[in-house]
Amino acid sequence: MSLNDFIKQLDDLVEAASTRFEHAINSVDQEVLEETRIEYLGAKSGKLKEVQKGLGKVAKEDKPVAGKRFNEVKTRLEELFQSAADAITGGGGKKGKVEALDVTLPGRRPRLGHIHPITQTIDELKDIMGRLGFSAVEGPEIEDDWHNFEALNIPLEHPARDPLDNFYLNVASTGTGGGNQLMRSQTSTVQIRVMENEKPPIRIVSLGRVYRPDEIDATHYAMFHQIEGLLVDTNVTMADLKYVLRLFASSYLGHDVEIRFRPSFFPFTEPSVEVDMRWQDTWLEFGGAGMVDPNVLKSVGYDPEEVTGFAFGLGVERLCMRRHGINDIRYLYDSNTKFLAQF
Amino acid sequence: MLVSWDWLKQYLDLDVSEAEVCDRLTLAGLNFDGSSTVDNDRCLDLEVTSNRPDWLGHIGIAREVGVLFDLDLKVPSADISKVSTGGACSKIVQIEDEEFCPRYIARSITGVTIGDSPAWMVNRLRTIGIPTINNVVDATNYVLMEIGQPLHAFDMDKLTGDTVRVRKAEHDEKFLAIDHREYLLSTDDYVIADKNGAVALAGVMGGKETEVTEMTSDLLIEAAQFAALPVRTTSRRLKLKSDSSYRFERGVDPEMIDWASRRCCELIVDTAGGEVCEGHVYAGSQPSARKSVTLRLSQIPRILGIDVYQPEVRRILERLGNEVTQQSEKAITVIPASWRRDIEREVDLVEEVARIHGYDQIPEHAGVSLSASHQSDLDRVRNKIRMGMLGMGFDETLTRSIVSDIWSKAFQGWSLAEPLTTSMPMVKGEDRLRVSLIPSLLGARRNNEKFSYTHIDLYEIAKVYLPKPKALPDERYMVGITSGRDFFELKGVIEGLVGMLNPNVKINTIPYTDPIFAEGQGAHLTINSTTLGYIGVVCDKARKAFGLQQPATVAELDLGALMKLAVLIPQHQDFSTHPAMNRDLNLIVDEDVSWSKLQDISYSAGGDLVEVVTFQEIFRDPKKDGPGKKRVLFTVTLQAYDRTLTGEEADATIAQILAACDKETGAKLLA
Repeated sequence: MSLNDFIKQLDDLVEAASTRFEHAINSVDQEVLEETRIEYLGAKSGKLKEVQKGLGKVAKEDKPVAGKRFNEVKTRLEELFQSAADAITGGGGKKGKVEALDVTLPGRRPRLGHIHPITQTIDELKDIMGRLGFSAVEGPEIEDDWHNFEALNIPLEHPARDPLDNFYLNVASTGTGGGNQLMRSQTSTVQIRVMENEKPPIRIVSLGRVYRPDEIDATHYAMFHQIEGLLVDTNVTMADLKYVLRLFASSYLGHDVEIRFRPSFFPFTEPSVEVDMRWQDTWLEFGGAGMVDPNVLKSVGYDPEEVTGFAFGLGVERLCMRRHGINDIRYLYDSNTKFLAQF
Repeated sequence: MLVSWDWLKQYLDLDVSEAEVCDRLTLAGLNFDGSSTVDNDRCLDLEVTSNRPDWLGHIGIAREVGVLFDLDLKVPSADISKVSTGGACSKIVQIEDEEFCPRYIARSITGVTIGDSPAWMVNRLRTIGIPTINNVVDATNYVLMEIGQPLHAFDMDKLTGDTVRVRKAEHDEKFLAIDHREYLLSTDDYVIADKNGAVALAGVMGGKETEVTEMTSDLLIEAAQFAALPVRTTSRRLKLKSDSSYRFERGVDPEMIDWASRRCCELIVDTAGGEVCEGHVYAGSQPSARKSVTLRLSQIPRILGIDVYQPEVRRILERLGNEVTQQSEKAITVIPASWRRDIEREVDLVEEVARIHGYDQIPEHAGVSLSASHQSDLDRVRNKIRMGMLGMGFDETLTRSIVSDIWSKAFQGWSLAEPLTTSMPMVKGEDRLRVSLIPSLLGARRNNEKFSYTHIDLYEIAKVYLPKPKALPDERYMVGITSGRDFFELKGVIEGLVGMLNPNVKINTIPYTDPIFAEGQGAHLTINSTTLGYIGVVCDKARKAFGLQQPATVAELDLGALMKLAVLIPQHQDFSTHPAMNRDLNLIVDEDVSWSKLQDISYSAGGDLVEVVTFQEIFRDPKKDGPGKKRVLFTVTLQAYDRTLTGEEADATIAQILAACDKETGAKLLA
């Protein structure tokens, strides 16, 4: 056998083996790999063994070159096998002991935080009202008599002003002209501030923390959140109020919802109503609403003969708790990460 | 207001079911809260709003039912002419302050026999939970629950002197009430007094000394009107609430006081015998004339969004007891009912029409016009911060705005002024408006440590209240953060947060000392020399004070400062597309050379070709470098906007940086 023929045999062998090991890799099958190994590197009848027989037939003077070449091919085939084995078992495996990748092990998760359920509720309510054209505004949590009571048509003798029902501040004469300062007891104060500074049409939601002294228990907290809507324009009626509230309730609950008004009393609205929404065949209390009292419009310099408006307010905690099945309001303010991580 | 079904039916020929009545009342403003069976009667619980004192008696509720079902109301005539004699009431009544007591009617009854009340009265009172005492006291309670007018029966023989006086209590005057408790009065309280002193706390409760007992034979029956605010003040201060004070706080019908007085006398004589003295005492003034109110019919659609047929408007207003004095096609004028002092304006009449006509008549498909709305910058920034904190593994929490004195002083980085206090605590011992969120967050850590949670990474976005002399306080939103991570991890969180709002801002960090921070481990963060906030490692002493076991870091950022730096709509900036080149420098410097110093020098000395200077690490080898030295390893990334840098250019720039670092800090390149 000529040297060239022998080398050609070796080259063909490498080429064929490459293809076969490639195939084994693609099959991701240890058995296929083993079969391929035996096919080429098998000690008794492997193809390499077969070719090796040709080495003896090569001319004596060509033997060193042929032998060197043969050894190179042998190494090459062993490499092909090893890299195929590595590829199938995930690599890095050492000879004789293949380390398997257990793909069922848990991933390394980045730690994610959570957004408070009250924030999530507020965001959702703001978002819905935003789609209805209401812009969100905020105001101070510490207020004077004027914004918290007087301008809202709550006279001095009204029980809502009772010192025991409000967090008044212990401030000596403050010079703000408004008299006493207190932690606001409602977010309607923001409506007054907006109306004092802007002309109709007004279309806002005001929201934030409000404060009322209350013994803290599973259903009461001395600090809570309110969201209030206000629309003032020419020709605003209670029918508009009902329409907006129905859209609001439908958006929040995700399907068509019926709205019911029950007469009620709030100093800053007239007529005043409690709003119920029909959800899963029961009437749920939703919040208070009504037409802005003419006295309130007058107090901010609007003419009640020119404009009318509606306002509504809801307690955020109640909606949040009902939505998420939270049965104790204290969880909302306890900072327990086991609670917070649920939302 | 608890209502006896049997009692209610006395005033109406009512042929509808209890359920239907309750439904209609609910939709008319008397919310039905439930009912129960008491003996053979039904007790209905109806919620009465504070503007409707007329609903605090069975007649008022029967009137409403009458309007809703178009039934006539039968009010007892309270005629006492058959049981009265020509005698005069033996007492004179003096009112010291007519603002407090505009009118006081006294009648006397002689020769009563104290005993049990008749079964019908006992049953009705029992249905609504009023305990029965004797036929006289029960009669006063019965009329109270019938018309909402409080009454009081004094034992005439126990009243000394010839004058009953309505006056202010004296300072520290003592009063023994029928609940057998003694109350110490102040000059804010009003009493009914005889010659010897207070015999009743006006509008709230009668006195033990003059109460009706089995021995009583002659009575003085008081029916009066007292002002709401002082009655409430007294009742609140003494923690003494009664059915009477509840009604005076809401206002009684001034024109029915005499009726109530007569009705009470009639019932007493019916059940306890005796004779009413014909000459009664009326002290004070007559109720002022009621002012008429005109309703323009055009206001109904203008406010309600629906039309109501004119005869229906008239029917509703009349049924409710308003007297129509004038009517045209366009308007209707009424004199409001005496029990409706809350009807003063046109809009009040609109509400009455809406209430009775039915809010269910208002459609819910009005079609409000479209309007643009926008998200405020405050909301945008807050949302970004929340998303960033969420991504960095922090849970949002909400904590109380009002804290204890100790907490209010635990961190005073924002204000050294005395914190504002509230007139009463929010929870026991907590009456300070907080000036920092940090103490509340450390409290939250402690709550969680109790359950030994490993990761307690919390933040809160809320206001602090910094006192300002002679003005409403400075309310500022803060982002408070607490973590179990170390100083630089927390600093990295802040850098990440700021970078998310504006990638081109550099935070300056200046050492800051505060009792809450461990020594040398607190810092003041600024941007363009305005305060961004504070960061630090909580010292052992503070940790102990907050009951914390594990190490804690805290930070507080002024949301206003974050708002100022935030770029809400980033603008594209052109960037180099040529390859960048990194050169690592390892400099030996004195311990007191800060990283920011080396960084600043590198930027300024390197010039335009320096893309970024990145800190890698610090290590120390005193044996080789000598004491008081440290090695700072950092990477300078070089890049030109318009070309690929050559090795020579890079070398020259690095040489400039090294020379400048050497000149300004004595830094030597590690050989």
